[in-house]
Amino acid sequence: MPETIQIQLKKGVLELCVLALLSRGDNYAYEIASRLAKDIDMGEGTIYPLMRRMQTDGLVETYLVESPSGPPRKYYRLTERGRASFTAQKAEWLAFTKAVEDILGAAA
Amino acid sequence: MTSDLFLAQLRLGLDGLPKSTIDEIVADYATHFADGVAAGRTEAEVAEALGDPRRLARELRAEAGVKAWSEEKTPSAAAGAVFAVLGLGAIDIIVLLPILLGVVGALFGFYVAAIAIFFAGGAVFAAGPFVDFPGGVASAIFAGIGLMAGGASAAAVLTLITIGLVNALVWYGRLHYRLLKPALEPQA
Repeated sequence: MPETIQIQLKKGVLELCVLALLSRGDNYAYEIASRLAKDIDMGEGTIYPLMRRMQTDGLVETYLVESPSGPPRKYYRLTERGRASFTAQKAEWLAFTKAVEDILGAAA
Repeated sequence: MTSDLFLAQLRLGLDGLPKSTIDEIVADYATHFADGVAAGRTEAEVAEALGDPRRLARELRAEAGVKAWSEEKTPSAAAGAVFAVLGLGAIDIIVLLPILLGVVGALFGFYVAAIAIFFAGGAVFAAGPFVDFPGGVASAIFAGIGLMAGGASAAAVLTLITIGLVNALVWYGRLHYRLLKPALEPQA
């Protein structure tokens, strides 16, 4: 079931990807959603429940920016806790993928 | 699906949440549609990329329920969080419900017992001086105070246990939801 594995993997790294995007600069949800939809092919709607969860967990916070056209735009930025979580999750991910690569390499 | 229909279905699915929360969530998705259209996509394309509004509503409800519970430990917040998490269908309700009902029933029984002990203590304390209590008036008063203190501390311990159980259920539901029911279902 390669398809299932891929879905599970994506789901698992979604939060990590959002943390990574925000670590490079504050952003708004549409932009985050389109980046993730394009690069890792996830449903765009998923981003909003995820952003609310990350807000509940204290990883991100929001602020409003006046927009020249239309209503003020809601931006997301990482909190201190979000930054710490990103560092930890990134290290975990790199260690994990390296281990998998080593095993795959050895099997080839 | 048009933007209006999507937002209406979403709003319907969120019914029961505080109005400000619903408005905030619906505004998020309305902005998403506006941004999408501004980027040159049709409403139907944006709606398809967003996914099923009813499923999104279920997920958002669970998130809101958990958030309310993490902010205030009231019985209604606990019930809200538990029902929202159960609503995800993440937990096998058929298996869990009898256990859950048993636990809730037992907890309720203990609460009633704790309250009864408290009031019994009060009665002994108040009536002690007037009836012929074995050991005299002083021991009746002390026994009454002791029973009341025992009842109150039992209730306090029960409250802590209840909070712990709700937290455990929420944690379990979230964990399983994340692992077993990915929101990343392929967009069919």
